[in-house]
Amino acid sequence: MTIKFVLLVNKQGQTRLAKYFTEFLTTDERRALEGEVVRKCLSRTDKQCSFYEHRQYKIIYRRYASLFFMAGVDDEENELGVLEFIHCFVEILDRHFGQVCELDIMNEPEMVHYIMDEMLLNGCIVDTNKANILEPVQLLETIDK
Amino acid sequence: MQSNMSSKLAAKLQTAKNLLKSSVNSLGPDREFENLIRSIGECKSKQEEDRIIFAEIDTLKQRLSDPKLDKTRGREYMVRAIYCEMLGHDVGFAHVKALQFASEPNILTKKAAYLALTQFLDHNNELVLLLVNTLLSELKSDNYIAVCTGLVVATKLIGPELINAVLPTVMERLHHPKEHVRKKAVMVLHRFHQLDPRREGSLAGVDIDRSFRTMLCDKDPAVMSAALSALHEVIKTDPKPYKNLVPSFTSILKQVAEHRLPKSYDYHRFPAPFIQIKLLKVLAALGVGDRVASENMYAVIQQTLKRANNTHMIGSAIVYECVRTITTIYPNPQLLAMAAESVSAFLKSPSHNLRYVGIDALAGIVKINSQYAQEHQLAVIDCLEDPDDTLKLKTLELLYKMTKANNVEVIVERMMSYLRTTTDEHIKKDIVRRVSELAERYAPSPTWFIAVVSEVFQLGGPHVESQLAHNLMHLIAEQDEDLHRSAVEAYLSLLDKPKLPERLLEVACWVLGEYGSLAATSSQNNTQAQAVMNKLAGVVKTQKATEGVKGYILVALSKISAQSGCSLTPEAEELVVKASSSQNVELQQRSYELQSLLTSAATSAASLQQAVLPLDGSCEDIDDTEMIRISTLSFLDGYVNDALKAGAAPYLSEEQRTFGGSKSLRDLNGDKGSLKFEAYETATAPSTTSTTFKQNRPGSSSTSSSHYEPHQPVQTSASSSSQHNGAGAPRASGPELQLRGTGKWGPAQFESSSPAAAKASAAAPTHSTDPRHADLLGSPLAARSQPTHVSERDRLAASIFGGSSSTSSASAASIAAAGQRPPVKAAAAAPAARQLAQAPPQRDLLDFDSPMKATESPAPAPAVPPSSSQLDLLLDLDVLPPSAPSSTHSFQPYNAYPTQHLPPPLAGAAAALGGMLPVDLLGGSILASGVSGGTGGGTGGVLPTVLGPASSTLQSAGTGFQQTGAATHAAPFNLNQGLASASGGFAGGMMQTPVHQGIGASQPIADFQYQYQHGMMAGSGLGTTMPLSSGGYPGQIMGVGSNMPPAAVTGMNKSNMTGAPMTTKPGGKPASNDPFGDLI
Repeated sequence: MTIKFVLLVNKQGQTRLAKYFTEFLTTDERRALEGEVVRKCLSRTDKQCSFYEHRQYKIIYRRYASLFFMAGVDDEENELGVLEFIHCFVEILDRHFGQVCELDIMNEPEMVHYIMDEMLLNGCIVDTNKANILEPVQLLETIDK
Repeated sequence: MQSNMSSKLAAKLQTAKNLLKSSVNSLGPDREFENLIRSIGECKSKQEEDRIIFAEIDTLKQRLSDPKLDKTRGREYMVRAIYCEMLGHDVGFAHVKALQFASEPNILTKKAAYLALTQFLDHNNELVLLLVNTLLSELKSDNYIAVCTGLVVATKLIGPELINAVLPTVMERLHHPKEHVRKKAVMVLHRFHQLDPRREGSLAGVDIDRSFRTMLCDKDPAVMSAALSALHEVIKTDPKPYKNLVPSFTSILKQVAEHRLPKSYDYHRFPAPFIQIKLLKVLAALGVGDRVASENMYAVIQQTLKRANNTHMIGSAIVYECVRTITTIYPNPQLLAMAAESVSAFLKSPSHNLRYVGIDALAGIVKINSQYAQEHQLAVIDCLEDPDDTLKLKTLELLYKMTKANNVEVIVERMMSYLRTTTDEHIKKDIVRRVSELAERYAPSPTWFIAVVSEVFQLGGPHVESQLAHNLMHLIAEQDEDLHRSAVEAYLSLLDKPKLPERLLEVACWVLGEYGSLAATSSQNNTQAQAVMNKLAGVVKTQKATEGVKGYILVALSKISAQSGCSLTPEAEELVVKASSSQNVELQQRSYELQSLLTSAATSAASLQQAVLPLDGSCEDIDDTEMIRISTLSFLDGYVNDALKAGAAPYLSEEQRTFGGSKSLRDLNGDKGSLKFEAYETATAPSTTSTTFKQNRPGSSSTSSSHYEPHQPVQTSASSSSQHNGAGAPRASGPELQLRGTGKWGPAQFESSSPAAAKASAAAPTHSTDPRHADLLGSPLAARSQPTHVSERDRLAASIFGGSSSTSSASAASIAAAGQRPPVKAAAAAPAARQLAQAPPQRDLLDFDSPMKATESPAPAPAVPPSSSQLDLLLDLDVLPPSAPSSTHSFQPYNAYPTQHLPPPLAGAAAALGGMLPVDLLGGSILASGVSGGTGGGTGGVLPTVLGPASSTLQSAGTGFQQTGAATHAAPFNLNQGLASASGGFAGGMMQTPVHQGIGASQPIADFQYQYQHGMMAGSGLGTTMPLSSGGYPGQIMGVGSNMPPAAVTGMNKSNMTGAPMTTKPGGKPASNDPFGDLI
């Protein structure tokens, strides 16, 4: 039960954030994988379900305005659970950035990474408590100012 | 919602831009970062993006190599490098800089540098070594954010050999006052466990499991959740040591579900749903196959399931996880009923996501109890027809698990229609595998199988395993003339299509060669044969024929020519001549053989041809005793002695030879695991083996791949390499056995090569009188929906589900009946049958279990009389009462026919010959014996009479061979085939066996010529047949033990259900020397 990667891609197919867990792919492999995954994802309609299989991964995605949040998971993962985890992640981003949008993520990608590091370790969901997750991140913000 | 979002987005864009302007100072005075983000955000194409990044990389290189590097901007540079890497460009230049920034005191720079490192590197990178010291100082830092950063880095960059460097520090951090640190420290240990799951490396002797148990009791739920993840991982590796944790997990789950955790862990008013899901997964891992552990979970799972509901997606996620756990652990009827209820809610939902998980969960439930599929059949059909690919694919997966003999046609047709439309190679491969498996296991008739498999070849192309081709040829060979004729016609027209896959071409060529002469009525036989020849010759031009296919064509040409008696057409002639100068020795040899055979001036040319290339010779049988005699090669002794006296080098086994070439033989022959000869070694070889012979090949009995070479061992390398080249197709291997072992063709349907019976079995579901089925057709649900569509859906549902319901009851009934049936009523059999009849639920379980070990229990076709349906069942169990009345012979699978099999000792003897004996000699001939049983069976009750004469003929042929070997082989060029035919359909011979990878089997040309020159006679020619060929149906050997008395029923039954092979010796005692056991 592992989330292998998380991808944030806009509807033009441009990668906005990519984070891999437990397995390491070379730059070329990532590029190829992301290209295929994103192409498949963008070709899907609202009428279809939010999962599809690609190579050994099952991709679970959710769309927020122009941004697609995708998670590549293994066979064991609970699809609905991951779908809700994505939403939980977005809610936390929302609380941190205040009405999060694509540009926020582009401007502070490292913050998004730090938030995800609090929630996902080794591809396992370890924490979804908003206060817990945002505490160290907000501490960093105060140092920044 | 959408428009609302986009307007919000526009507003955000504005504010963000303003923000950016205000924070310019922190991002650097030259606004490089801002410009980069803006240009990336505005760019329209990938090319433009790449250009931007290339420019950015140049700037970054400059900045980072600048000696007056502004360290306060380290964070910005790192983020820029992360961008470049994320967009698919190599940023190797930044790696070392990132290392330097990691030791900066500024926490923001430090964190950014570490983040960059985790994005760029993996634990195999050498740079990580340089990082360890810095990392250790982070782990020991007073600043908990630094410690957290260090721990996150440790999960990603510490490899197996560095575990020891950081492990003590990480263990200390487990007691850090801050829960953020503890949670991450646990996950670092989790990672270390992943790197060394068996505790053989750096973790040897470290009791991190104890730490996990301790951390499970941590007061902070997040730490507990992390410990759960870790424990789940170790439990998956080995659940046994953790069974005592079941009460802890159940009580935690109970507390979580009862909302005892702080409100902050709620997600949409569901208490810590992600922790609940994880706990359910852990329980599933602990409860699988463990009744006691499972019983301790039932209550809490039930409670969790009740508390969760479908009001929100996350509730559904918990419900779904509950269902998955319920279907994984030891089943409980009450929970199953609840799970089924939840599944029906999923399936009725309009949401595709919920229907998707519903189908998935249903697959889990039907595995335990097939009944639950019944009520959802219409929902399942809807999902199957849904335009959504994912849903359709998932439904096909469910159907695959539900496939039975009576719905296989509908389901396979569904899969095929999906296969026709999909372009995804991974999915194609998957479906091809499934279709082939289902077709092999449940094919209702040979005609159907041939049609399906041929289409799979066309659609699946490169994904099809060669095994399927051999099975197809094998099956065609077993059928009667009508089918052969229609197969020939089908393949003739098929060859007109362009770009056929190689495997299909091979099958087509083989069929045309073997049965091409049947294509025509006798009056125009010659012209027709010539047309076939031209077609075959044309294949080389129209298709992309590989060497292997060409070999098939050459053999086919010679067979047609021999059987029809007409000479080669000019086109064919041209092909043959061309092949004689081919670089491929294999083809060359075939070409020369063919030419000599056809132009042979001997008076008996025609009869020789007929003898060498008999019509429909692939199903012939050879006699057991003859087989023993041949397999010992005793008739070679005189020749070997003469040769030794004349100064020839004695035979050396493979170990004694040092040529590199012989290695490939072993590769091809031995180590695949497909044929194991060791187990047979205990069998005593008949004493006819002469001592000289034994001396000549010391140790060869133990080397399965050594290869008999009476003279000039130097040629071995040539020979093995030629064989290597010639091996057009991979060798026969494991999967094939299944088809034999499970009595794949066993069901009554197999007999239905007559179209009427096939139709009857196909019609079975619709005309079934099964009450449940009748119920379905008149169900109120069906009546409510639109009538036209429903009737169609209904029909589909009926064809898929209707049968499966009747099956279990029918089979149970016939089991019960079998117990009372006179022929089987042996003392030992009766209790077994009773046992079966008493335990229907277990049977169900097995029924739906993974197809590999499932015993199929097809519903009897209505056309078949009751006694045969019982027999049917028996066949499922691979049991054959020897005293069965001859009228039922037609339902026997060939592999169960009692008299036609090599007894194990013989197989042992054959095997003991090791590499000397060609594999196909062993496998192929056994095949032949099996096949003829099957063919006989297929023709109905005449089997016994057929067999008698056949074997006596063969015997005489064999004897003739021994006595007049030289005469028979007046044409030494064709030792190979000559020997084959003389020994009575020696199935190993290259022209006759369908499984023979034909081409692959051949004699090295050098060898051949040598023998030719020396006028080597028949006996020595055996060397020719030897070469590896692949073929063989090792599975046939298993048929060996099937002539068992009823007493063996129990053993059979049991062994089959557990997936073990059915090799039970006549005494009901399991055969100890079954070499293929592990392949089933």
